[in-house]
Amino acid sequence: MARLAAGDRDAMAPLVERHQTRLYRIALGYLREREDALDVVQEAFVKVFQAAPRWDGSADAGPWLSRVAVNLSIDRWRRNKRRGQTFAPLVEGDHLEVLKDRGPAPDRGLLHRDTGGTVARALRALPERQRAVVVLRHYQELSLEEIAATLGISLGTVKSSLHRALHRMRETLAGGGA
Amino acid sequence: MIFAHRRLRRRVSLLAAGLVSGRDEAEVRAHLETCARCRAEHEELRAVVATLASDPVRTAEPGIAASVLAARVLHDVDRLGALSPRPRRFLVALPALAALVAVALVAPGLLDRFRPQPPQAARVTIPKAEASQLLSEDALARIERNVAREQAARYLNEAGDVLVAVAATGVDCDRADGSLDVGAAPERSRELLEKRRLVVDAGGEAVASAQSVLDDVELALRQVAELPSCVKRRDVEVVQKDVEARQLLMRIRLMSRELEG
Repeated sequence: MARLAAGDRDAMAPLVERHQTRLYRIALGYLREREDALDVVQEAFVKVFQAAPRWDGSADAGPWLSRVAVNLSIDRWRRNKRRGQTFAPLVEGDHLEVLKDRGPAPDRGLLHRDTGGTVARALRALPERQRAVVVLRHYQELSLEEIAATLGISLGTVKSSLHRALHRMRETLAGGGA
Repeated sequence: MIFAHRRLRRRVSLLAAGLVSGRDEAEVRAHLETCARCRAEHEELRAVVATLASDPVRTAEPGIAASVLAARVLHDVDRLGALSPRPRRFLVALPALAALVAVALVAPGLLDRFRPQPPQAARVTIPKAEASQLLSEDALARIERNVAREQAARYLNEAGDVLVAVAATGVDCDRADGSLDVGAAPERSRELLEKRRLVVDAGGEAVASAQSVLDDVELALRQVAELPSCVKRRDVEVVQKDVEARQLLMRIRLMSRELEG
């Protein structure tokens, strides 16, 4: 970040190397669509570059980047919802057609497995914040305190959100759909 | 027993998520020994957590080289950097317009000197390049009209964003009654209603074609402006139905396109 703040563009690649997988999993966990997740990751790094001159150098960029990725994922989710596209590529059947023509990629084979689809349906049934809490806990294994810091919410809200999210997911999974 | 059950219910969920330890964990586990319902619930929640743990997304890879992604990021940065210092067209026009109005007020005869004059025998010819920079009354009126229409389009787009944010909210307030969080939408609506006066008063004839959309948007914004930030689900549905019934989002989109030319 210090190099980036000094205008060293070569510093971007190591930063991307270090954080891209983690950010990608946050965005993919939230959005469940590969292209959207990659867009979010790219946009998050653009924001890093733009914010670099204001970076105080004392903090780790990781939690801040996670927060940016979650917020961008929520924005993307809302935009898709407005357009009626949310989760559409992962609805049973449709996504196979969408993914079929795109050629191989490391995770595409995994995305349409049963578990992925089941989890996607259960996550879809959650409100935005609850979904963010679940993603940060179960995809990033963050502690409650880290989730609170990442999302800028209280510890109590994180606990109640996770509690409600797990119960709602239990109902969705038991019902066999969203 | 009932009190312990209620007090520990949330911790049962957190235990299933692997987030309770030490004395708290011992207390919850002791409760599970005596409460069949909590035990069953704990097992079911553990199954949910196990399902999440087996989700392939947890181990998914972006499938793109860091150097490629970094190059794309830098490309975006350059593109945005080229765009960001350039304000919107009407913002560029505003200072020029203000200066012209000031000049016209202070020295009404001054602008006449720059208007094209009827041909005279001894008149000095103005070079073509210079003449093209002169502003006639028509040009001034066109600038004013464009500014008014762009402001109205911007107002409508911002109002549309507020209405979408309210109608599409799925964020709950973490209350037992299922209230929904509409965030800053009421405050934003009040700001936009203030702005509306300027848009309509200043816009006049230039925004006359948008009048019915502006009126309907005003009604919808007034509804939202009166909401608290945490609102009952049915109140959100009232706004949502009203917006749908008036086909407001579509009309906003079409009208702002028309206004932007």
